[in-house]
Amino acid sequence: MKLQGLIFDIQRFSLHDGPGIRTTVFLKGCPMDCIWCHNPESKSFKPQISYNSSLCGNCMSCVKVCSTGAHKDVNGKHEFDFSTCQSHFECADECAFGALKIIGRYMEVESIIEEILKDKAYYENSGGGLTISGGEPMAQFDFTLELLKVSQSNGINTCIETCGVTSKRNFEKVIPFTDTFLFDYKATDSYSHQSFTGLDNKRILSNLDFLYKNGAKIIVRCPLVRGINDSEEHLRAISSLAEKYPELIGIEIMPYHNLGRNKSHSIGESPLLTNVDTTDEETKHKWIETLKLYSGNNSLIRLSQ
Amino acid sequence: MNGNILQTELKFTETYKRYRNAHPAIREAMCLKVQYPAFFTPVKPSDLFAGRIKNTLVGITPDEWGLTSFGYYCREEEICKILRTSEIGPILSQKIEEMLEFWKEENTSAKIRKAYTKEMKMWLPSDNWMGEPGIAFPLYRLTGGNIDFDKLLTLGIPGMIEEIESKRSEKLSEGKVDEIHFYDALLIALNVLIDTCRHYAEEIRVMIKGNNTEESQKRELSEMRDILEVITLSRPKTFREAVQLFWIYSLVADVRNYGRMDVYLGDFLAKDLESGVLTEIKAQMLIDNLWQLMADRHTVVHNRVIIGGKARVNEKNADHFALLAIEATRHIKEIEPQLSLRFYKGMDPTLMAKALDAIGEGRTFPMLYNDDVNIPSIQKAFDLSYSDASQYVPYGCGEYIVEHKSFGTPSGVINLLKALEVTLHNGVDPVSGKKMGLSQGSFTHFNTFEKLWQAYCCQVEHFVGIMAKQEELEYKIAGQEASYLFMSMLYDECLDRGKGIFSGGIKYLGGTLETYGNTSCADSLTAIKDLVYDKKTLTQEQLLKILDINFEGYEKERHLMLNAPKYGNDDECADGMLLNVHNHVANYTRDQVNKTGLHSYMIVIINNSANTLMGRYTAASADGRRYGESMNNGNSPSSGMDRKGITALLNSIVKPDTKIHAGAVQNMKFSRSMFKSNRKELEYLLETYFEKGGAQAMITVVDRNELENAMKEPEKYGHVFVRVGGFSARFVELSEDIQRDILRRTLY
Ligand code: SF4
Repeated sequence: MKLQGLIFDIQRFSLHDGPGIRTTVFLKGCPMDCIWCHNPESKSFKPQISYNSSLCGNCMSCVKVCSTGAHKDVNGKHEFDFSTCQSHFECADECAFGALKIIGRYMEVESIIEEILKDKAYYENSGGGLTISGGEPMAQFDFTLELLKVSQSNGINTCIETCGVTSKRNFEKVIPFTDTFLFDYKATDSYSHQSFTGLDNKRILSNLDFLYKNGAKIIVRCPLVRGINDSEEHLRAISSLAEKYPELIGIEIMPYHNLGRNKSHSIGESPLLTNVDTTDEETKHKWIETLKLYSGNNSLIRLSQ
Repeated sequence: MNGNILQTELKFTETYKRYRNAHPAIREAMCLKVQYPAFFTPVKPSDLFAGRIKNTLVGITPDEWGLTSFGYYCREEEICKILRTSEIGPILSQKIEEMLEFWKEENTSAKIRKAYTKEMKMWLPSDNWMGEPGIAFPLYRLTGGNIDFDKLLTLGIPGMIEEIESKRSEKLSEGKVDEIHFYDALLIALNVLIDTCRHYAEEIRVMIKGNNTEESQKRELSEMRDILEVITLSRPKTFREAVQLFWIYSLVADVRNYGRMDVYLGDFLAKDLESGVLTEIKAQMLIDNLWQLMADRHTVVHNRVIIGGKARVNEKNADHFALLAIEATRHIKEIEPQLSLRFYKGMDPTLMAKALDAIGEGRTFPMLYNDDVNIPSIQKAFDLSYSDASQYVPYGCGEYIVEHKSFGTPSGVINLLKALEVTLHNGVDPVSGKKMGLSQGSFTHFNTFEKLWQAYCCQVEHFVGIMAKQEELEYKIAGQEASYLFMSMLYDECLDRGKGIFSGGIKYLGGTLETYGNTSCADSLTAIKDLVYDKKTLTQEQLLKILDINFEGYEKERHLMLNAPKYGNDDECADGMLLNVHNHVANYTRDQVNKTGLHSYMIVIINNSANTLMGRYTAASADGRRYGESMNNGNSPSSGMDRKGITALLNSIVKPDTKIHAGAVQNMKFSRSMFKSNRKELEYLLETYFEKGGAQAMITVVDRNELENAMKEPEKYGHVFVRVGGFSARFVELSEDIQRDILRRTLY
């Protein structure tokens, strides 16, 4: 069988995942469990059903095909019970209204490349290309490596967006095929890192160091959530990265937005952060000012949109 | 006071009667003498150029004044309204009634209808394309003439007179009577122009004498008066003289598209700036003022000013004018003039940069035309030399012609979705229940998709053939009726041949057919093929029934249709169907030159608001569109159906062949933040699109909530401009269904 990856989305004309105009391929499955994750459907390594009740037309086609009884016709109103669902997915094929969807498709490198190549001319003019994001691309390592290789051989600039959790050996293997790494930097002290993401950050930091010392081009990306990980210590640490790694391409501040909140409900989960709003302009401004102050106005640090 | 009502119209009618049997050119000239300067209105205190005109109710025009008014026209409805609402004595009233009666048969549109063949009468029963269902409708007009302003400004009025006189004596020695009449008429017309200048000069003289005019204004007014006198005596020497002559001429000629203005005004501007006659600021003021005059002309779909592009002899000077023109468009926040930028790889990049600034501010102008694609396409499509093609200009809603060499009036509309719908119903229109097209068997009779496709093609061809002949006939009658003197004297070859533009004078007489619902039709065919013939999810009877009851009770099936592949997503299957529809109608239409005497006859995929207006009378369709909803706009995907991102949309857009039609518009809607925060990427995006073969872009920049709020509180959002298709509009002035259609279009 050909190598397949579990993909949950392909987005063309991405402007915020690396330089230029890009196509971002989102791989499904992530070893971390960040409380602020805005793609909750990307966490699991398995295909999932998603249900958006606001689109449901109560046609009951799903009820007819479902053998588990997860879909019910309650007086002409359709109801879905995630806990009974056994992920057979027949219902999603039946749903013309798009209320039921399968999140995660297995795709071969070839068909992804075909999709990516459609916008090649746009990459070439803008300095863009492919970004593999997730989930965590390094968690589907073989597939990611293959996709990078084939992309590069097709003359396409490559980026991966990674949380940094994998072996050094794996990073070593992808370095020659990756033009830019978008490397997440989420919290500074190990304890808070553990509590915000489920993992400590020792290995991540040493991987960052490893990539840097091996000549990888890196943009460090720092998700900031007000009142959660915007401590003085963390901001200072971000600033000192600029000094420690002067050859970085950039350090991007990614202010939290809560647009992903409703996505949790559609996969039968509850959002982890319920009381934090999308970052307001004032806070963004304050962060940037503070970072400028700490870093002595280092030009590497910038706000991502 | 009421004794003066419609006096000019009555006098015009009398004059026409008196010269009824004279040579048409002479008759026209005598009528023009009545029409001008009578129909001009006074200059406003803020005007820097003379020339404002009112909408007249009886007259002659080479363009159109409403649904069926062109050539010699009489606006019956408006006149009846005046009769009803004004106090008019019985004698005058009777005179007016007689006038109405006279024009009933004598107006040019009526003469065209009267000359219809049996076939035309049968298949084109109505002219009311905005208010009735139909597959095809005729349009009565001659539109889009772009005259040789460069020649006018180079020769001036005396130079024109001299040239005409010399041609006259040439033909006189050859004994050509017909031609002599034509030249005599041209000379009378030029005198009308001179009279008009003098009329304004006199009027201004009186204004200056008036007590309540300020000193500074008096200075401007005296300069205007001097200029008006000077241009009757010699060719224009300054920028301001040139603009004045251009403007007043375009009004008497009723030419509403102005062609390559940067070419014919660029040198005047450069000379005056260099010599110090003008400062940059004053020049800008003059152009701004001209822009306002154009805006006040309210042509809605015309007022095209072309700047930029290849084959400009005075590129540097023209570029300078072009930059001021874009600046004027930023200052004068109106829906006209429709500034259009031709560009090519290698042109001074500051023009495009400034253009994008204006577009980013939400001005919708300039519209962008890619010479690298358009010139070779037009060369091929119209069968022209490169040098002719390089002088192309878009006019009106986006049709192409060659400046002062060719004509391409769209004199008909065809609704492709309606053609499909009537085909599915065996020749009957499901909206009116009337027979409307060819009966080729019921839907069930087409047991393969191929058979349905063939039947659809036959239906379209049937109407295209008739429309081509109708257009030819329209020109013929128009040419018999008048010489369109002001236009003819500045159209290539007419002076040499001694003939009016449509009486054998013009070099390339072409026509166009406006197609609507192209994408809606293609998407419907895709869904039918997919659901009925390939997957067999629905039978023919089921599909027909669901459409006939407008999806009521069949929401699921409607969604199945909506989920079928749609054009605009870089999807091979859906885009392929659009190409089939496009190639078929474009090629068949283009082939009609072999059956008519036209130099070219092609489709244009432009748009005004016809997608909405005709959509109102088009039944539910298999693309998931409900009865009465807007069809797709121009060459665009159905609103909101492009879901794969802007690059996918642009990739789809560049697929249809540009070498087989006479113009197509591409609407795109971007958010303000895209222009603001991602300007560089946006520039790369457009650059790539144009490199890939993008011919044209009409860009609206707006935010969604702006549009939503504007629907709720229109009084606060007069500043929001959108591109409807072939024209720009203030969003709040559009009807609700058009507003909804715009809101539904994908915002990138
Ligand atoms: S198939 Fe879809 S629309 Fe129909 S009841 Fe199930 S979830 Fe609702």
